[in-house]
Amino acid sequence: MSKVAVFDTRPEQAVRAESPLAITRLADRVASNASAEAGVTLREKAFLGHLILRGGAIALDEAVREVLGISLPAKPSALAHDESGERSIQWLSPDEWLVIVPGGEEFELENRLREQMGDAHFAIVNVGGGQTVIELSGPYAREVLMKSAIYDVHPSHFPVGKGVTTVFAKATAIIRRPSEDRWELVVRRSFADYCGRWIIDASEEYGLNVLD
Amino acid sequence: MKHDKQPNRLLEGGRIDRDRPLTFSFNGQSYTGFAGDTLASALLANGVDIVNRSFKYSRPRGIVAAGAEEPNAVVQLGSSEAAQVPNVRATQQALYDGLSARSTNGWPNVQRDLMGTIGKLSGGFMPPGFYYKTFMAPASMWMTYEKYIRKSAGLGRSPTESDPDIYDHLHQHCDVLVIGAGPAGLAAALSAARGGARVILCDEQETMGGSLLDSREMLDGQPAAQWADSALDELASLDNVTLLPRTTANGYHDHNFVTLHERRTEHLADVAPLANGRRQVRSRLHRVRAGQVVLATGAHERPLVYAGNDVPGNLLAGAVSTYIRRYGVAPGNKLVLSTSNDHAYRAALDWSEAGREVVAIVDARANPDGELVTQAQALGIRVITGSAVVEAKGANRVTGARVAKIDIDGFKVVGKAEELTCDTIASSGGYSPVIHLASHTGARPTWRDDILGFVPGKVTGMTATGGANGVYALAEVIADGSQVGAQAASASGHQTAPIDLPSVAAIREGAAVALYQVPHEKTTLRAPKQFVDLQNDVTAAGIEVATREGFESIEHVKRYTAMGFGTDQGKLGNINGMAIAARCLKRSIPEVGTTVFRPNYTPVTFGAIVGRHCRELFDPERYTSLHEWHIKHGAEFEDVGQWKRPWYFPQTVNGKPETMHEAVARECRAVREKVGILDATTLGKIDIQGKDAREFLGRVYTNKWEKLAVGRVRYGLMCKDDGMLMDDGTTSCLGENHFLMTTTTGGAAGVMEWLELWHQTEWPELEVYFTSVTDHWATMTVTGPEARNLLAEITDIDLDRDTFKFMDWREGKVAGVPARVFRISFTGELAYEINVQANYAMPVWEALFEHGDKYGLTPYGTETMHVLRAEKGMIIVGQDTDGSVTPEDLGMHWAIGYDKPFSWIGKRALTRPDTRRENRKQLVGLRPKDPKVVLQEGAQIVFDPDQAIPMAMMGHVTSSYYSPILDSGFALAVVKGGHKRMGDTVYLPMADGQTHAAEIVGPIFYDPKGARQNV
Repeated sequence: MSKVAVFDTRPEQAVRAESPLAITRLADRVASNASAEAGVTLREKAFLGHLILRGGAIALDEAVREVLGISLPAKPSALAHDESGERSIQWLSPDEWLVIVPGGEEFELENRLREQMGDAHFAIVNVGGGQTVIELSGPYAREVLMKSAIYDVHPSHFPVGKGVTTVFAKATAIIRRPSEDRWELVVRRSFADYCGRWIIDASEEYGLNVLD
Repeated sequence: MKHDKQPNRLLEGGRIDRDRPLTFSFNGQSYTGFAGDTLASALLANGVDIVNRSFKYSRPRGIVAAGAEEPNAVVQLGSSEAAQVPNVRATQQALYDGLSARSTNGWPNVQRDLMGTIGKLSGGFMPPGFYYKTFMAPASMWMTYEKYIRKSAGLGRSPTESDPDIYDHLHQHCDVLVIGAGPAGLAAALSAARGGARVILCDEQETMGGSLLDSREMLDGQPAAQWADSALDELASLDNVTLLPRTTANGYHDHNFVTLHERRTEHLADVAPLANGRRQVRSRLHRVRAGQVVLATGAHERPLVYAGNDVPGNLLAGAVSTYIRRYGVAPGNKLVLSTSNDHAYRAALDWSEAGREVVAIVDARANPDGELVTQAQALGIRVITGSAVVEAKGANRVTGARVAKIDIDGFKVVGKAEELTCDTIASSGGYSPVIHLASHTGARPTWRDDILGFVPGKVTGMTATGGANGVYALAEVIADGSQVGAQAASASGHQTAPIDLPSVAAIREGAAVALYQVPHEKTTLRAPKQFVDLQNDVTAAGIEVATREGFESIEHVKRYTAMGFGTDQGKLGNINGMAIAARCLKRSIPEVGTTVFRPNYTPVTFGAIVGRHCRELFDPERYTSLHEWHIKHGAEFEDVGQWKRPWYFPQTVNGKPETMHEAVARECRAVREKVGILDATTLGKIDIQGKDAREFLGRVYTNKWEKLAVGRVRYGLMCKDDGMLMDDGTTSCLGENHFLMTTTTGGAAGVMEWLELWHQTEWPELEVYFTSVTDHWATMTVTGPEARNLLAEITDIDLDRDTFKFMDWREGKVAGVPARVFRISFTGELAYEINVQANYAMPVWEALFEHGDKYGLTPYGTETMHVLRAEKGMIIVGQDTDGSVTPEDLGMHWAIGYDKPFSWIGKRALTRPDTRRENRKQLVGLRPKDPKVVLQEGAQIVFDPDQAIPMAMMGHVTSSYYSPILDSGFALAVVKGGHKRMGDTVYLPMADGQTHAAEIVGPIFYDPKGARQNV
């Protein structure tokens, strides 16, 4: 038996899955408010593959470039994407990164990374069931973040390609900026409903639109 | 000429819109004002003299000031019960149509105060030192006094209905925060912003511009207000500038964290109107982290302290100018001005230009000679020099001023007083820089003799400018502001130059003289009351009494007299009070020092402090992936940390919902006799990888891990370094270098930090990583005699009792979903804990119920879990332990590896004499002699029930329940030396006088051999 138990947690046949934000019934809550002029747009990017990488930057960088074609972001709070924009790696701490890939890719990715890393000291942990991505866009998305997080989200301080772990309302969340006009929150499953309801409330004065 | 129904309204002038009349009510009476008015200016326009009754002496009081420093016109606002707001300064409240305000003090009304007539407090009830002496009295008396004081003093009241409005917070960051948008603040903001710095400019007033809005001066040949308008236009056009009008910097905290209270709708209505059909917040707290703070808060004029200076009609000189020039209101007809400086002459000039009579200017200086003095004389105004108003006459309104020559140094009146007939007395004793915010940080202010005032002490990253820094001449103020703004920008990396300064026709002013309390013919103690702090009714005599009673520190004087207390925070009175204390103590003002001003600068509504952190958003509720099922099936929930866990699932029996007792009894039987299911998702789960993972476990757990094989699970105890149990749980060996640790629900985050702490600080050489996977897995515990039969129906895992043994784990599929199944038991029954990725938990849970009917599958909650584990003597950390319990106290010697090769956390502490003591409190079972008794958790245990009180307490009950399977109450307890007292009888005396007897037994009440979980 391998020294680490790698486990594909996704069922082979179709099984109904429920995202962390499903319980919030976002669309029902904001239906009356949804409109074309909404100042904030929310979309849950559910069921993605999330892996935590721990290890030395040099060894992980080689493996990640080989397998994902992205350089490991070495700068604190840096966020890197592949060309399609669908796969990302984010610096979380000096020996910790978050990889997010399209759902279903994570098991093979973990195996290939493990193969590349060989005997190096590292860890890879699948955390995809434990967190979800909430995307915010629209002209007032930044105001919603300012209501929610102490961290400075002004463009001069929070350029595209940055991501930080911080406090969101009273929960912990990752805030990241994948592109000029989109923000992403990565929140823990058990806090997702709280964060979702908080965002609905904070968006009220601007109008909120929820996308599937 | 007078306006129709507003006797004091001028026909011209002011920044009000005479085409937009607004109706409002004050104390039930209807009045009309104009858009642009404050409540105070509208009241003055309508000739309302008395706006309140004073706090202590119940004296009639009128409006004194035009800004935040107003001590008297503190009103209760709101046209409905839900919209009540106490403590609003009428000088800061914009008028809107339908505004409804009442005095906070004076029953039945301010005109005829009943309390005053019957001698409310007669002065004798609350003499100076009242607070001090009350606090020194037994604390129980304060409760009595306090009720009476509040009722009679009328400090405003909170609404009894729920607030219909919402409030929120906004986190702001900037390079330069400029507080105050007068000439200094505007210049600072402009020069900082032009250099590209992120600037926030806030101002507490309705309109930005500060003193420029009522200035007599011209800038670049235009009225000063025009310069302000163009500066504001430029600032508004810049992306890097945030303008916040109606926003008070209410607190200045450490590290340039400043809270700004923005009133967003309070100028519109008393309940926030909808905007674009959506709710908007009534007020917003900006939580600003600023690189540099520029304090441009200006200066407050100091009134002179003379006899009768609280009679309505006594105003600050500057306030008179403001009411005339900004609001088109002349608050009287015949003015006497008493001043110690040139600046205040503006009030007389404005009064005269408004067409009203200036009876005299009374100047304390022997030879005033500034330009404004000359102007006044040119207008034919009588200037009386070397003199002051020593006493105001009148009761409900000033009727005259007694004027006399004074000797300031000798503190005495020289010569005979002359009485001048007038209805208004304006006074000015100079200017006090508004240092409150700097003082919030703890910085002690510095006295400057040249300006006769305190300037802010040094605060890192803060610069005071303009009036706040004792710079008063307009040209110098703008130059100073511009310079300070440029420096602040450059300190944050934005190079910029000071702005081009507007040309100012400078007015030459003569030197002021230091005058605070005006002498009277009688001694201070015998003269009519000379008020220092109008809001708290502190008199010069009160301060003198305080110093005579030996209170020499200004902080003691403050507490003795209540000077500068409460919402006033000493804005008008503090410097005068210090000067009087200094005179009495024969010291200088800097020797006496100043008291500390505290946040908030002006009152902040609780709503703004709370923001959206209320009701359902007050605290996060954490849900498992099965939460909706629990709701649908009627679960009652229990809070465990922030998690909502099903507590029990009451069913309807014979048309009636079960009680908790009935539901728990049913759930317990189901698990013992058939099969139950528990959502155990909330348990903390930590993935541990690395070649030293096993070694690390050996160091953080008390027991041994070297031989745990892949596929096996072990229970572990974790101690703090003091040897006391901190957490427990099972850890499974997933691979040779891979473990899954579980923790208690409440302990998850703490254990994670604990592991990281020891790894990072003590054993960084160990190759191991920890990652929280609590939320990734959903955990379902299927337990009871039928558990295997049920699970077998939907899994491909071989459940044979000989190959999948107790404390084994296996992986496979459950209901088609990949799962790890752990054979561990917290009930003492056959049990399988099914773990699946949380997104797929619901279909697996539902599949178990589809197949569970025939086995009697019953969902159970935490209460049943507690009963079942207690029947088995299994502890809950935090319930049966309290941070003072060792594993040995729990009788868990079997889970301690004293002979492990490397030391482990808590080992050394467990060999200390105190942890080896024989009479430590030890975990035992208690069987009540009367099986119907369920002992109270927390009940104290004694050995001899007949001993005298206080009894020797020998232990306490930690867990106690009724057991349906035993049909008896039973309990776990800690008892001194309990392990050696098996069979002893102990007693539990209760508060109601009953005493229960119980027998000490082993902690395992059911299936002591553990046969049932091994089937």
